Amino acid sequence: MSAQVGRENVVLQSLAQIGACGLFLLRILAALPRSLRHAGETVRQLWFVGAMSLIIIMTCGLFVGLVLGLQLYYVLAIFGGTSATGSVVALAIYRELGPVVTGLLFAGRAGTSITAEIGLMRATDQIAAMEMMAVDPIAYVAAPRFLAGLIAMPLLCCVFCAMGIFGGHLVGVSWLGVDNGTFWSNMTANVDLWKDVINSVIWKSAAFGAVISLIAVFQGYTTAPTSEGVAYATTRTVVASSIAILALDFVLTAFLM
Amino acid sequence: MSQRKSYAVGTGLFIVLGFAALAYLATQTTSVANSHQGVSYTVDAQFANVGQLKEGAPVKVAGVRVGQVQSIALEPGKDVADVTLSIDKKYAQIPTDSVATIYTSGLLGDQYVGVQFGGAKTYVANGGHIGLTKSTQPLEDMLGKFLGGGSAADAIGGTYSVTANFTNVGALAVGAPVKMAGVAIGSVASVKADPVKLNALVTMDIDKKYSQIPDDSAAAIFTSGLIGSQYVAIQPGGSPNSLKDGDQLILTQSAVQLEDLIGKFLVSGSPNSGSNAGNNGNNANNGPSNSPAGKH
Amino acid sequence: MTDPVHAKPDDRTLVRIRGLTTVLSGKTVFDKLDMDIPRGKVTAIMGPSGTGKTTLLKHITGQMRGDVGEVRVDGLNVPELSRDELFELRERIGYLFQNSALLTDFDVFENVAFPLRQHTKLPEVLIRNIVLTKLQAVGLRGAASLTPSELSGGMARRVALARAIVFDPMLILYDEPFVGLDPIALNQVLKLIRTLNETLGITSVLVAHELEAIKQVADHIYLIANGKVVAQGDPKTIADDGSPWTRQFFGGDADGPVPFQYPADDYAQALGFKQGAA
Repeated sequence: MSAQVGRENVVLQSLAQIGACGLFLLRILAALPRSLRHAGETVRQLWFVGAMSLIIIMTCGLFVGLVLGLQLYYVLAIFGGTSATGSVVALAIYRELGPVVTGLLFAGRAGTSITAEIGLMRATDQIAAMEMMAVDPIAYVAAPRFLAGLIAMPLLCCVFCAMGIFGGHLVGVSWLGVDNGTFWSNMTANVDLWKDVINSVIWKSAAFGAVISLIAVFQGYTTAPTSEGVAYATTRTVVASSIAILALDFVLTAFLM
Repeated sequence: MSQRKSYAVGTGLFIVLGFAALAYLATQTTSVANSHQGVSYTVDAQFANVGQLKEGAPVKVAGVRVGQVQSIALEPGKDVADVTLSIDKKYAQIPTDSVATIYTSGLLGDQYVGVQFGGAKTYVANGGHIGLTKSTQPLEDMLGKFLGGGSAADAIGGTYSVTANFTNVGALAVGAPVKMAGVAIGSVASVKADPVKLNALVTMDIDKKYSQIPDDSAAAIFTSGLIGSQYVAIQPGGSPNSLKDGDQLILTQSAVQLEDLIGKFLVSGSPNSGSNAGNNGNNANNGPSNSPAGKH
Repeated sequence: MTDPVHAKPDDRTLVRIRGLTTVLSGKTVFDKLDMDIPRGKVTAIMGPSGTGKTTLLKHITGQMRGDVGEVRVDGLNVPELSRDELFELRERIGYLFQNSALLTDFDVFENVAFPLRQHTKLPEVLIRNIVLTKLQAVGLRGAASLTPSELSGGMARRVALARAIVFDPMLILYDEPFVGLDPIALNQVLKLIRTLNETLGITSVLVAHELEAIKQVADHIYLIANGKVVAQGDPKTIADDGSPWTRQFFGGDADGPVPFQYPADDYAQALGFKQGAA
């Protein structure tokens, strides 16, 4: 990261970053078999990036569901279709809001902490110390975090979706008076297990999880070992992950639908 | 070490919670939920028209779900649909003279089979048959009756053409039917903007069979059904003279925005002058039977 | 400079550097550097700041590779080792980082146990015994359950030392072990270096500036500057070899072969007092 980079080099630099990120992914994948020896570390990371993100994911999922229920109810009321509230809430959450909002929250909550943690480990020579103790930092530090992100995202997304449905039900049925049976039967009639839950919720969020944790680990690992460098890398993690999520969302939707 | 163990337990709980959420989404909110039910038995029923009924659609008694549609098949050589209903064993006592009807839940909802119990003391057995059925009532029919629409245009012989000016033709297309009393009597030949009057000039080809149309008749643009296409309706006047080739209909009623109409109807808004769309202040409840107020 | 080809394991030399040349971003760090580090002794590497003393340690551990030359550690030429061979070698080398580099995720006990857990499948009881022995050796057995953030600089350095010796290495590299320590902590670390060397016979390489401390502990001193060894010898004789380098370095003069001024263009010209300024 030389300090003086001409404006014309921004494109080239971004391309170089993407390329370096891809090579880093290959290094992680190559280190995956070795990282299996550090399964305990993956579990520990799963706790940090997954379980510790639960509260924010559940809260946001609930509110997204509440507001969706409210908005959709009033829109559907115009067409006399409030009985469809359940299915529209479910489809909106499964197909788009669940994976995307979970991804953005995950990037903000877990991605930044991964970047900052690895960046500080580098700044305080912990990475070098591992090298010196004959422990491969890619296998011990990078790969477990990458795996944890990959596993945690679909689980978090499921929790988010469940809370969203709960929120939509709360508003639609308990507050606005949509019939409970209608709410569910309409939902079950229109939501497809493979198309909506497996393809959208699971695959999309797993892809997002892989991309976010890759970016986070990469930024942390390649950061300049100063406090300024760590701060800069953290910001870049959020920016790059958010763009990647939304762009990937479009591509995946086009392919999976 | 105890530190490590607490991570493992917490992470385990997290994973269990995630999978529980997944199981919940998969089984309770998707169509999978419908296939999970107790021991069931099947009965079948014939319908003349199943409309949009799908396999897996609910079967309800008194509005409560008792089973689902297992299969819909067309018997070869017959023009009735054979619908097999899979009904939960605990609701096995369906009187033999019950009536199966295809309903729509709400305006935009899906269709389901409703069963009204009869008074017979004998019950339909497993694999039995419900004799009395009522087919789906196409929404288009209901709205059509209500809005004054009719069926599609018939084949037409020789024609003569008349013109009419409308302030708004809506989505009226060339080839759209021209109807009188709901029966197609011709079709729209052209829709042009009138450069002088600054409104739309519609040319209609009318079947020669219908040469007795009074020349003070009114032309109105209507929509067939909720999402149907638009057509021109001729409402006969009282003049002794008949329309001839090249005549112009003076009294016209422009297209009314369907959204307005339905909105008013469904949300039971108060009557107001729908002047934004047509030049006629009809509210939907009056429908086309109201005598059109023409405009030049 | 007798046998540049191969150093046998029973040789008196553990680390043998021959003709090492390294250029980093245009700056020549090492210029055909030769150095022998004797087995079982404490060797100190001194020199002005920025002469690449830490870089030299990184060459010995294979974290960095020179452009030319060989670095033999226990007979193995480090720059030519594969990753696995390098890792094998590193298991026999302890390295004490300038800032201790304890893993912040773990407490003191787990930090010291980390190499054991990574490379062995010893039963928990044995791991516990080894770790407590090492912690006792550095006097911090009572601090086993503290986290790195609760330790003072001196304590952190002693924990890092305990971690470095957990495998009883043949060689320990100390990177500025005395920086930022109060006199008491400094003497504690000093005592540990001496004790480890005397009791376990561990070869030690010390990069430091603290002359008085080094005089107490080192058997041999290398003074490097401008990418070369400019003086060497035991602590008593090195200061008397009469070269301008040793005179400046051990005398602590501000100016000498190591100039006070960073290389720059002409001063008067830069201030615009001389004709020819732009």
